[in-house]
Amino acid sequence: MAKAYTPGLLVTRHKKHRIMRRLPIAGDVQVKVDDMVKADDTVAETNLPGDVHPVNLANTMSLPAADVVACMLKSEGDSIALDEPLAQSKGMFGMFRTIVHSRFEGTVETVSPVTGQVIIRGAPLPVQVRAYMSGRVVGVTEHEGCEIEADVAYAQGIFGVGGETQGCIRVATVAHDQELTADLITEDMAGCVIVGGARMTVESIRRAMEVKAAAIISGGIDDQDLKELLGYDLGVAITGRESLGITVIVTEGFGEISMADRTYAMLREFEGREASVNGATQIRAGVMRPEIIVPLDAAPSASSDAKFEEGQLETGRMLRVIRDPWFGMIGEVSGLPAEPHVLGSGSKARVLEVTFPSGEKAIVPRANVELIEE
Amino acid sequence: MTRALAVLLMLLCCTPVVVHAQAVTLVGPSDVVAEDVPDDVGQQITVKWNLSPQDRAQASGARPVNGYAIYRKVVQTAEGLESGAETAAGPGELAFADDFDYEANQPVGTVPYSVNQFLDENVDDGVTYMYAVASTGPGGTYSPLSVADMPVTARMEYINEGKLWFLIIMMIISVVIVFFVFYAKHGGTIKVRPIAGLEAVSEAVGRATEMGKPVLFVPGILDINDIQTVAGITVLANVARTAAQYDAQLKVPTARSLVMTTARETVQAAYLGEGRPDAYNEDNIYYLTDEQFGYTAGVQGVMVREKPAACFYMGAFYAESLILAETANSIGAIQVAGTAMPSQLPFFVAACDYTLIGEEFFAASAYLSNDPEQLGSLKGQDLGKIIAAFLLVLGCLLATLAAVLPNAKPLRIADLYITNNVLGEDGLVPDSEKIANLDLLMERDQDAQPAIDEGAN
Amino acid sequence: MTNLDPDTIKVILATDCGSTTTKAILIQYVDGEYRQTHRGEAPTTVEKPFADVTMGVVNSVTEIAELAGRRLVGDDGRIICPATGTEGCDIYISTSSAGGGLQMMVAGVIAEMTAASAKRAALGAGSIVMDVIAANDGRRPHDQIQRIRDLRPDMILISGGTDGGTTDKVVQISELVAPAKPQPRFGSDYSMPIIYAGNKDAREPVKDVFSDEGFDLQIVDNLRPVLERENLGPARDKIHDIFLEHVMAQAPGYDKLMGWTGAPIMPTPGAVGDILQTVAKLQEINVVGVDIGGATTDVFSVFDETFNRTVSANLGMSYSISNVCAEATMPNVLRWVPFDMNERELRNHVKNKMIRPTTIPQTREALMFEQAVAREALRLAYKQHKEFATTLKGVQQQRTVGDTFSQQTSGQTIVDNMTLDLLVASGGVLSHAPRMHQTAMLLIDAFEPEGVTMLAKDSIFMMPHLGVLASVHPKAAEQVFDRDCLVYLGTCVAAKGMPKAGKSCFSWELSGDRAASGTINGGDLQLVELGEEETATITLSPARGIDLGEGPGKKVQRSVRGGTVGLILDGRGRPLALPEDRAACQSTVQGWLDSLDVYAEESEAVAV
Repeated sequence: MAKAYTPGLLVTRHKKHRIMRRLPIAGDVQVKVDDMVKADDTVAETNLPGDVHPVNLANTMSLPAADVVACMLKSEGDSIALDEPLAQSKGMFGMFRTIVHSRFEGTVETVSPVTGQVIIRGAPLPVQVRAYMSGRVVGVTEHEGCEIEADVAYAQGIFGVGGETQGCIRVATVAHDQELTADLITEDMAGCVIVGGARMTVESIRRAMEVKAAAIISGGIDDQDLKELLGYDLGVAITGRESLGITVIVTEGFGEISMADRTYAMLREFEGREASVNGATQIRAGVMRPEIIVPLDAAPSASSDAKFEEGQLETGRMLRVIRDPWFGMIGEVSGLPAEPHVLGSGSKARVLEVTFPSGEKAIVPRANVELIEE
Repeated sequence: MTRALAVLLMLLCCTPVVVHAQAVTLVGPSDVVAEDVPDDVGQQITVKWNLSPQDRAQASGARPVNGYAIYRKVVQTAEGLESGAETAAGPGELAFADDFDYEANQPVGTVPYSVNQFLDENVDDGVTYMYAVASTGPGGTYSPLSVADMPVTARMEYINEGKLWFLIIMMIISVVIVFFVFYAKHGGTIKVRPIAGLEAVSEAVGRATEMGKPVLFVPGILDINDIQTVAGITVLANVARTAAQYDAQLKVPTARSLVMTTARETVQAAYLGEGRPDAYNEDNIYYLTDEQFGYTAGVQGVMVREKPAACFYMGAFYAESLILAETANSIGAIQVAGTAMPSQLPFFVAACDYTLIGEEFFAASAYLSNDPEQLGSLKGQDLGKIIAAFLLVLGCLLATLAAVLPNAKPLRIADLYITNNVLGEDGLVPDSEKIANLDLLMERDQDAQPAIDEGAN
Repeated sequence: MTNLDPDTIKVILATDCGSTTTKAILIQYVDGEYRQTHRGEAPTTVEKPFADVTMGVVNSVTEIAELAGRRLVGDDGRIICPATGTEGCDIYISTSSAGGGLQMMVAGVIAEMTAASAKRAALGAGSIVMDVIAANDGRRPHDQIQRIRDLRPDMILISGGTDGGTTDKVVQISELVAPAKPQPRFGSDYSMPIIYAGNKDAREPVKDVFSDEGFDLQIVDNLRPVLERENLGPARDKIHDIFLEHVMAQAPGYDKLMGWTGAPIMPTPGAVGDILQTVAKLQEINVVGVDIGGATTDVFSVFDETFNRTVSANLGMSYSISNVCAEATMPNVLRWVPFDMNERELRNHVKNKMIRPTTIPQTREALMFEQAVAREALRLAYKQHKEFATTLKGVQQQRTVGDTFSQQTSGQTIVDNMTLDLLVASGGVLSHAPRMHQTAMLLIDAFEPEGVTMLAKDSIFMMPHLGVLASVHPKAAEQVFDRDCLVYLGTCVAAKGMPKAGKSCFSWELSGDRAASGTINGGDLQLVELGEEETATITLSPARGIDLGEGPGKKVQRSVRGGTVGLILDGRGRPLALPEDRAACQSTVQGWLDSLDVYAEESEAVAV
């Protein structure tokens, strides 16, 4: 095996990107094939069934469950307002009737003669699905959703929090290895996607939230800062539903680590353009990484010549070490010994030799490197 | 024979007349001393004296001295000399008038013969008194006054030194309770031993829910003024909360109307607290009868008809305990009982699944509420119990050792100290007199020892 | 499915289709006993672009065929079965956990009673229980409905009520599930299978509730007919049936694979449970098995023939490593590390491992830290298991006056480390540790076995295959399990109690294949050589208050089996207590590691 596959994060200046926009339950799709949509256009809409409130009438009226149906003033399917009479007991000789008023607004869904329970369903909750990415509608599934395609520049982050958002790219730092601090964030960055270099501090994120930025992207973050930001220690990397009011993406990892030069250069190039950003991360089977999508006006004429086969480990390729002791360092593959090597830990594993820009060489397990896609 | 008897009778009748006629001058008591009673609020003075030499029965059986009269006069008021009030005898004048009129001056008290002290409980704090004692004889005769050699002032002491140990122990327990309350309030954990009977509440109610059967709660047969009923209601609140969560039916038949009202309030509050006010049904908490066995029969009827899957007995029970527990056992219910009635506990333990015994029953509210104040005081009380148990064991040990080793003086002193000082009223410092007595006692024991040994042989 | 006479089975082919790799093994009848002879591996091909599980199966089987020199795959691309002379196999069996395994939601009336029984049934069948809905789970009905909506289980198991017990609560639970209209994971044209295993009186009303389209209601016997007894069999079998008919049928290629197998395809964890049960039954021992993965940790136990399985969903070594550190807390993890580490850097390392789960520790320090995390993950998973594996709750107690001061609630754990005979480890961090000593030490520190306990690891994760085989040929499964599946690490003899440091804890004497004797002091750990095929009789005389299996201070005699590590004598006491002070803790732990030679100075190479 001269070649070995080591996955990396995708960073590319051009890619045909397709996204699926789907409703949680059946509803109306409001676009047609070949429509051009903007990122914040609504493409589909539906009403989620409202909340369900059970009311135990049998107990409230001290009746056997089977008698509840006869006492109902509203039947199944009727709508009911707050404090409207829901049921009335027969009373004694027509006197001493008890009237039960509804404490909920909605429709009477079921009246159960077994449990004496009435289920009132609240008003439906409207759900709108936005396009998220500007592009062309290429497919519509009736009542379910649509597919949107666009030529984009695309960068994957390693980890993020917060959901889908969009805004103009603004680069706040001057270099890819400059720390993103609070003083670099200014009032005019409202609604923007702020790009930093190396580690971002919790103060800078707070500042970005203050100026109402849409997203903040940088190379790394300290775990302690993330914990402070979220208010809890993140246990499992399944994110995207946080309600911070800002989407945070790190492109490289935790700790003091600078953004890959290439990613930084690309984002710098697209400064001022609209970008769609999603922090949702899911590191499980069906891995999902945060993404930064910059829709392009037209596909660039020639894509970079593919020097290397995608995903193949070969001598001369650039890679990043993703585990200590050389965590975050970028180097070039200088050797691919075929035989497994005994590591300092005592384990035997397949390794490669990497040469760092300083000229220093190191032996690293193949599992601990990540290719930088060119 | 008849004549002889008549003469004797006459003689007997005449004897006192003869004595009176003799007009013997009575001799007064000697060494009269008045002392302020220590460790009181300043309203007591003890007067002591040596008995009059005439205080003994004569051969004829007659007593020249048949009692003592105690007199006092105010020497100085608490307000000082300026006011001049109540200084009948004039400042500094300590002596009683030579021509003291026994009839005009009411004694502050009289005591019969052979008694050599008097406790005057009618004095005022801070007033100085002079005391005098006279022997009284038959027919209103008095001896001359024996005046105390020193005046005495009644004083209030702020600390009863005799009960200093009591104070110390109380302080320790209070400090410990306060400490634990603070400790618990500031997030400290106080571990209460799991009480199986209370842990089982959710299980019992769960069983009832799964089986679709009601939960029966019997709060005892006494009224709400009984502390056990109150404790039972505390547990009821917990059972009701669980029943509300599980949506189980809770039935509470009561033997007292007031208990019914309290139970209704409690259960309703519990259902409200759990956000299930609609699940509360007032009719399930009802009054049966005040009659002990009428009530028992009623509850039994409910058991047999409705077959509850869980039965709780929490409160004061008498003869009905086993009747109820056996009936519920026969219908296969999980039973949890709690009472402080020692005579009923064995029945409950044998017939029920879980039983809260005495203290556990009262600790339930602290256990259930997890309220720091209650937990802290529970812990503090436990420490008090430990101290009491420790003293008990120590005392028993010392008394036993002192009996086995009569020569070990330190042991006997320690024993004496615990009995008289720690548990008694002798204060912090051991009473030297009692220790001196101990020496005597030991000598006597030593003398007696060989005799016993011989006797044993 | 064919009904084969076990005696005629001589060649057995088994595969396990995992989410990433498909592993095949060949078992042959050699010299009067069954042995695992060859194995092969290939990537699983459930996902696109292949979308046919049989491709991976054929690839792995072809690898075996080449190694064994026996043609197993025919020209038509099918596995040759039955065998003819030098070709094919007598039976082909398979398990599967591809596509995330079997995911279920269960519901019951009371969380600790029928819902717990339902969970036990589902876990025992090898599924992942996504959530348990119960009347007393503390959630409002609309929250429960929302939750049911959010989940996309493969099937739902509803129980509740004893036979003749509550009807309305069961109907209420059903009334929560029905309007929520949960969507199955695969395909919208497939109706959600619902198994009802509750009160038999409530069957009709439950049928009414689920009469709508989109549900496929199946009714089986109540899994808790009375509170005193569980009847999990029918529900479990039904889960397996539905797993095959509905869930597997949706996964690409499985319809084909099902046609090939000679026994129903089982979910992988269910098969692991089966083999452990079979072994426990045949050898009359108590077994605990653990499988620690990247995301989850499965614990299986068989005590007195009662089987329990738990899945600790967020305790794992890569995806969930950060959660382990959060749940166990950093100081608890670091107590196992005998040197200082910068906590801020460590926290970043942990998170980096979480977002890049495939990396492996390169330095010894990193390995030691990772194994420290593994100890805590296993400890927490075992704790959860103990809390779940209990006697039944809600059962009436029989008492005498003698119980006055010793009343115990029902629902006590049935896991008893003192009666545990065999502890089996599997999962990357345990079976791929550079030295077996590390695996043994991890097991002892995390599980704290008491008395005499044998330690073993599953060499190549063969237990799933043997689990299915056990349903066809239990004897063959047991033989292979004992001879080839397990790598015996050795036996641990551990003292229960609080021995005083430096004072004698117990003295021991070994006779048999190896003779030796000595004394273990409190706080000491000692390794005595006892080779893989060696057995010996050990006589133990514990100090006062120390229990080695026969009660405090009582003499114990047991036969012990050696292994790649040997006989480990543990005088540290139970529960295991580490010094609070960081420096003291470090030197104590270093002492333990040294005495067992856990991290050899000159790391000798051990194949991964």
